[in-house]
Amino acid sequence: MRSFSDYLRSVDDAAFLALFSARPDLVTPVPPDIASLAVRACSPPSLARAIDSLNHWQFQVLEAAAALTEPFTPKSVVALTDKASSTALAHLISIGLIYPSDDGMRLPSQLRDVLGNEPAGLGPASMAKLKLSELDDAPADARRALERLVWGPPRGSVGDIKNPGPGVAWLLDRKFLVPLDQRTVVLPREVAIYLRGGKIHKENLVNPPQLTGTKRDERQVNLASIANISTVVRWVEELLNFWAEEPADALRAGGLGVRDLKIISNHLGVDESCTAFITELAYLTSLISIDADDRIMPSNKFDIWLMQTPSDRWQALASAWLITSRASGLVGRADAKNVAALGPELDRVNAARVRALTLLILKENTSIAPDLTAFNSLLAWRAPVRRNSSMQEELASWTLREAEWLGITGQGAISKYGIAFLEGGDCEIINEDLPKTVDHILIQSDNTAIAPGPLEHEVSQQLAIMADIESRGGATVYRFSESTIRRALDHGKTGDEIKAFLIKTSKTPMPQPLEYLIADVSKKHGKLRVGNTASFIRCEDTALIAQIMNDKKLEVLAFRRIAPEVIICNHDAADVMRFLREAGYLPAAESANGLILTGARSIRALTKPRPPRIVGEIEVPTLDMLNAAIRVIQTGEKSSHKQARLRQVANEALGALPRSTANETMDLVNKYIQEEKSLSIGYADNNGAVTHRIIDPIRVSAGALIARDHATGEVQSFRIPRITGVAAL
Amino acid sequence: MTDGPLIVQSDKTLLLDIDHPLSTECRRAIAPFAELERSPEHIHTYRLTPLGLWNARAAGHDAEQVIDTLIKYSRYAVPHSILIDVAETMSRYGRLRLEADPVHGLILVTTDTAVLEEVIRARKIQPLLGARIDAQTIAVLPSQRGQIKQSLLRLGWPAEDFAGYVDGQAHAIDLVQSDWKIRPYQELAAEGFWHGGSGVVVLPCGAGKTIVGAAAMAHAKATTLILVTNTIAARQWREELLKRTTLNEDEIGEYSGAKKEIRPVTIATYQVMTKKKNGVYAHLDLFDSYDWGLIIYDEVHLLPAPIFRFTADIQSRRRLGLTATLVREDGMEGEVFSLIGPKRYDVPWKEIESQGYIAPAECIEVRVNLTENERLMYATAEPENRYRTCATTRTKRDVVEALVEKHKGEQILVIGQYIDQLDELSEVLGVPLIKGDTPIKEREILFNKFRSGEITCLVVSKVANFSIDLPDATIAIQVSGAFGSRQEEAQRLGRILRPKSDGRSAKFYSVISRDTIDQDFAQNRQRFLAEQGYSYKIIDADDVFQGKI
Repeated sequence: MRSFSDYLRSVDDAAFLALFSARPDLVTPVPPDIASLAVRACSPPSLARAIDSLNHWQFQVLEAAAALTEPFTPKSVVALTDKASSTALAHLISIGLIYPSDDGMRLPSQLRDVLGNEPAGLGPASMAKLKLSELDDAPADARRALERLVWGPPRGSVGDIKNPGPGVAWLLDRKFLVPLDQRTVVLPREVAIYLRGGKIHKENLVNPPQLTGTKRDERQVNLASIANISTVVRWVEELLNFWAEEPADALRAGGLGVRDLKIISNHLGVDESCTAFITELAYLTSLISIDADDRIMPSNKFDIWLMQTPSDRWQALASAWLITSRASGLVGRADAKNVAALGPELDRVNAARVRALTLLILKENTSIAPDLTAFNSLLAWRAPVRRNSSMQEELASWTLREAEWLGITGQGAISKYGIAFLEGGDCEIINEDLPKTVDHILIQSDNTAIAPGPLEHEVSQQLAIMADIESRGGATVYRFSESTIRRALDHGKTGDEIKAFLIKTSKTPMPQPLEYLIADVSKKHGKLRVGNTASFIRCEDTALIAQIMNDKKLEVLAFRRIAPEVIICNHDAADVMRFLREAGYLPAAESANGLILTGARSIRALTKPRPPRIVGEIEVPTLDMLNAAIRVIQTGEKSSHKQARLRQVANEALGALPRSTANETMDLVNKYIQEEKSLSIGYADNNGAVTHRIIDPIRVSAGALIARDHATGEVQSFRIPRITGVAAL
Repeated sequence: MTDGPLIVQSDKTLLLDIDHPLSTECRRAIAPFAELERSPEHIHTYRLTPLGLWNARAAGHDAEQVIDTLIKYSRYAVPHSILIDVAETMSRYGRLRLEADPVHGLILVTTDTAVLEEVIRARKIQPLLGARIDAQTIAVLPSQRGQIKQSLLRLGWPAEDFAGYVDGQAHAIDLVQSDWKIRPYQELAAEGFWHGGSGVVVLPCGAGKTIVGAAAMAHAKATTLILVTNTIAARQWREELLKRTTLNEDEIGEYSGAKKEIRPVTIATYQVMTKKKNGVYAHLDLFDSYDWGLIIYDEVHLLPAPIFRFTADIQSRRRLGLTATLVREDGMEGEVFSLIGPKRYDVPWKEIESQGYIAPAECIEVRVNLTENERLMYATAEPENRYRTCATTRTKRDVVEALVEKHKGEQILVIGQYIDQLDELSEVLGVPLIKGDTPIKEREILFNKFRSGEITCLVVSKVANFSIDLPDATIAIQVSGAFGSRQEEAQRLGRILRPKSDGRSAKFYSVISRDTIDQDFAQNRQRFLAEQGYSYKIIDADDVFQGKI
């Protein structure tokens, strides 16, 4: 009989290539030798990962194999399933879930643990010889009991095993049911397989279910897709422009608050789940950063991104989305706790895997907008729900939704751009197919302007300052109002510049009311001036003010005269007074509300006083506290004495212990389990003391070796990391 | 990429490029399901609303047709979400039906039990329902027909009303088209209404809404109750009906503060209907006094709140609402739609103008500068008096004088809000004033004189905002208004839109105080007209004085 590592030593490079490409975790990092490779390939996490990659049919075949006793033949697998199982079996062998030994097919030692105790709802194999044909004449009561258990779970509870009903009693008599404990019986594997008609599954799902959905016209799909592409790029740009003006504040726990999400959702005119998706896109692409003050704002990468062609911009977004483990669909999900966009709680282990699979299915079914139920059943076949996959359907539906937002699909079916992107090909074609940009607007007399297509970047940036966007889509509707013109003026434009820009950009003549609006607002703009200053000097005598302004000794204060009678200065009032006095003037202090402040200045601190802490003085402890302290000291003394003795014992024992490396240990253990030999091992206890044990290994399960200890005669589990070495006896 | 005239935006607005060769065809195609929102000079804006889509369903269009139309005319790809939304919204219509059952009376029937279960659990619906008949049917209290339709609409499950209308007492009415012809759009409007059963017709002022009413009566051939804003309007309806239809004087009654006649065709004022005596509405019996086959609401945008409630109770009678501007500053447009009925006909003002049925009009905003003194007064005025202060400045008086002088010989109306200001203007200009307390008789005399050309200028308060027929007014000068009311502005412009015998264009002056809230309100007031394509020209008061215009 060969072990799995022996099998691996016998295969060729092509087989390794197949194995590694299906299970990349085996080569990250690259194992030093075949023994370590075998150990890693047989470790439960790696096996579970490999099983996750199986489709429903392959999994059924694996279950069938697990239901057989080793070694088994391909024929017996076919008998339990279907003729088509040979291809599936070949695949299972190629990814190392089954391996051919010299006496037949075998499973890697820990695979059964990963699959669970009851593969396909089958109980343990029977110890006794069974006359299965008797089952055909089972009485009705027994039949009912069997029907309950036949498709699993194979365990059933009875009132009292000593006093079962007539049907169960009949079955127990003939060993068709086996008592497990006081109240539980189990149906042996052979009986279940016999009752299942020699198969183990109700239905062998050899072929995937058909993906149904709406047939889409290819041209329309591409048109819709390109519209989505231009929209998503625009969304991201608008979001970042919005944050450039008013950065959002991140929550203390990280992420974007619901209120901020709503604000953006309103600004973009899309619902909140879509908004969350857009913010996440920007985050994944590093277009935004969250600074030390927890403010969310565009990064300088945004400027670089803006310079790129639309196709590059889109690809940057789509590529980041494709591989992320973050699921933005979690934000604002009904009946769940609120999860914040950009927050720390969005990662899901299988998000990227489900996303890739969803897109793959879309790609295999071009020009079909899948029907959600059909899609889910196909998905369930391709990736049967097993480990961590409770959210699989949700993740897939989010992927479909997001693929549409991104424009990988159009009208629900994959577009040529989506295919080109997924194949890693050239997406330049997007640049050609995007609607041609327009460089003009149409201004109308109701103070709106319409850009009848996507505007050139430069123009739209300018216009976004001067007008509010009222409607978005293929075209953009802008509305001018007093506040938007004021905003443009605040941005440093003059009224004439605004007018000149609009006349130049508009294809239609500028309506007079708009011209007046601009003139009116710019006339009023900036009439009032507001600023900060540290102190002021006021004097009704303008001649004196002029004198101060011209006084060379006071130049250092950098005065500014803002009115004939007022000077401002950026220095503190006390300093200014000192300088003025030194220069021979006679100033008086004035409070902010115009009162003269007289008398000597006596300063009070504005902050609350904090006296220094007293160090060195110790409180007198109570009697209780003293007693407790004595108890603690005594206990500690005892335990350290004991430990010292134990260490001494361990040191004496250590000399004769077997030593092997971790990989050797696993390899040897696996080997001896199959050969059913006794082993000598060194085993470390809780305190690090190593003892020498003689054991009969039984199996490896969940990081522990289950074995019978010769010293005690009991079956006990040994944690593998604590085994210092293994040697055969 | 097609090169269609339509751009479908992601916020469900449709932008129609009217300079495109296919624009007329496209407009006709989208009109049944999209609502016209704005129609300025280059790009018209339509909006896809649930109501509009359901109306289209009611008129026999299905979602596929709507989607095909959108895709056919669209310049860019139509956002997929919109197509889905259209299909989804339209599929909601017709799941619930109101029917008349010979045994149970009015019933609510569904094809989709889940929907029925959903709606009967709604708190607003429960009190309107009777006994459950079977899984798909439930009785409705007959008096709550309007209420339940309104509530279902709000829930997003509009009920298709198959319960029909009562015919009312038959009464022969026909149009007499001897010296005039009904205009094509009037006929379309009347037909649109008749096929829809009930609803609102929106036509510009001066486009002949009375004729649409008469045509609707000729369709119904039944006793009719007409509700109008005031007594003058009632008299005008009466004259118009006598002129245009086979009805004679004895068949038309007036039910107003002055007279209480109930005839086969009765014209009542909103005022008398909402008058309370000892805390109860005294004249509600009118609704039941005849077996009316048709109820017409003139100027439906002014419908007072109590009438809404009465209207809810008479859903089995046909109802026609007429208006020029379905914008209500109180935001009750939705109520009008669900109680009177959806919009059955609407057409851009400029289109009717181009067909020559309403006079082209020039809108001019004259800006006057306040004197230093007035500025100071304005700056220190109490907030509640600020508008009044700036709207009634003395400087405006000089401008009005100059304008009246300039248009000497033409028929001029000076319209304002504040009586003091109007009294003063009337005195300075030496022309009569019509205000709220002017007796009906005197008003009629003055209007007749104005019509005959005996007097050429009138100062009127807001009483003349609606339904006064001044055939040859060519100039309107507005000095103040009800703050930022958009529909008032439109109605006032309407005073001068009746086509002139010599094809002359009308002029609408709005005198505004510069740099005050008067100017801000003016901007809001002009919005509706600007959206209808009227472009305001702004001039300075000095230009008027120097005769530069």
